[in-house]
Amino acid sequence: MEGKEEDVRVGANKFPERQPIGTSAQSDKDYKEPPPAPLFEPGELASWSFWRAGIAEFIATFLFLYITVLTVMGVKRSPNMCASVGIQGIAWAFGGMIFALVYCTAGISGGHINPAVTFGLFLARKLSLTRAVYYIVMQCLGAICGAGVVKGFQPKQYQALGGGANTIAHGYTKGSGLGAEIIGTFVLVYTVFSATDAKRNARDSHVPILAPLPIGFAVFLVHLATIPITGTGINPARSLGAAIIFNKDNAWDDHWVFWVGPFIGAALAALYHVIVIRAIPFKSRS
Amino acid sequence: MAKDLDVNESGPPAARDYKDPPPAPFFDMEELRKWPLYRAVIAEFVATLLFLYVSILTVIGYKAQTDATAGGVDCGGVGILGIAWAFGGMIFVLVYCTAGISGGHINPAVTVGLFLARKVSLVRTVLYIVAQCLGAICGCGFVKAFQSSYYTRYGGGANELADGYNKGTGLGAEIIGTFVLVYTVFSATDPKRNARDSHVPVLAPLPIGFAVFMVHLATIPITGTGINPARSFGAAVIYNNEKAWDDQWIFWVGPMIGAAAAAFYHQFILRAAAIKALGSFGSFGSFRSFA
Repeated sequence: MEGKEEDVRVGANKFPERQPIGTSAQSDKDYKEPPPAPLFEPGELASWSFWRAGIAEFIATFLFLYITVLTVMGVKRSPNMCASVGIQGIAWAFGGMIFALVYCTAGISGGHINPAVTFGLFLARKLSLTRAVYYIVMQCLGAICGAGVVKGFQPKQYQALGGGANTIAHGYTKGSGLGAEIIGTFVLVYTVFSATDAKRNARDSHVPILAPLPIGFAVFLVHLATIPITGTGINPARSLGAAIIFNKDNAWDDHWVFWVGPFIGAALAALYHVIVIRAIPFKSRS
Repeated sequence: MAKDLDVNESGPPAARDYKDPPPAPFFDMEELRKWPLYRAVIAEFVATLLFLYVSILTVIGYKAQTDATAGGVDCGGVGILGIAWAFGGMIFVLVYCTAGISGGHINPAVTVGLFLARKVSLVRTVLYIVAQCLGAICGCGFVKAFQSSYYTRYGGGANELADGYNKGTGLGAEIIGTFVLVYTVFSATDPKRNARDSHVPVLAPLPIGFAVFMVHLATIPITGTGINPARSFGAAVIYNNEKAWDDQWIFWVGPMIGAAAAAFYHQFILRAAAIKALGSFGSFGSFRSFA
């Protein structure tokens, strides 16, 4: 222990090791795990912060769809890929917008902007059922309005150019699309869990700007990978908004993929983080 | 982010860990006699000059390198994505440099938004906007001075409504685009967030720069993306073309409406400023639960 104390003094190890590594889990934690959120929280509906959070999710998802679908329309409309921001620009639009919007709404609603994220956090008992349902409804409404504004700008071209709707591209099976959505959403929601982890916050002197940044980058990277397959949903509200405003058979035929995939991916990420990484159920049992 | 559990629900509200600054006076004659005001105005001038210089030079360079009639190729230059990066990245750099001096507005719409939220005085607002417009004119002037023929041939980087879009669409794009930007500015400068999140000022400009970058990705095909009246004005003055002036009103009305909407949204919905004032009289008990 003498050597370890010396390490602590010189800063090599941030925390003194009261027990040698590997013997048992330390009992006095330097972080506080928030208690599981109740399914129904009395008084929540009477609080302005609850309604304000939903409004924030609506506005954020509205702006998200407006910027991203408008970017997609700009790329589709241009004579060639180099006369527009290109596919990479589309990926930046999605990832960068998530970064900016999560940053803006993190303190208001938690900055979900995505039903899959809300679902994953709900499974991890981070928010009540009432709040989860409310958020998802507001996200879907915001997405519909955002895509609607883009259509309002140029209705004919919007319909002719696919409306930014998610469909499985030619040459890929529905299974491929589903798999891409599952893994893509896993990457996103797993990053959300890591960025908001209570243990990490306490130990890494958490700087809030750095939470939205990896989340935005996760979205950006998944888009780089799966735009050729499905146009990248990984956000059921985004897919729903574009599908409703575009309203063509091919968009609706594949639409189930963009709800089932993301929700499975979010559930897997929740299981992975809560049970495997943090082992929360086993700790509370002991 | 976990929901903010309100442990004070049952008792009287605890003392807040942040302090909202008092509303800025409309006329602050005292600040007219102090150097920090003039330093801030000069900082806004220089920042806007540099912003226009880098971004417009990028636009002209791109158009020159993709001009097929002059030996360019379709995929030459930095691309439209590069132009968007130039605008967004430059805002990030300049807001970081001037945040502590003038608040790093570099945009009359941001200044107006903050004025409506009572964060800057009327005198300061007017001086900032004049400095920003002059800086924009000088920035574009440099670009033209460096390459007069290219500048004129390739549209001077002026904001104009693209073919196929009507003025209503352009106006709508400018309104929503400026809303995104000013809303991000409000979030980045929120005193509540600063107190609770151990705010690191170096990182606040990053989402603002990203917001500008995002809006440019989306609306460059429509209007070339103004969302900054000084930027549009500076390019129009130096380019001095009829179409640029015909559409110029869109790039002032749109951003000002967007900024006002963002100010309203942030102050009255997210911060619930009005409800807080009423709540202090105790007549709205349930609303006292927000911290």
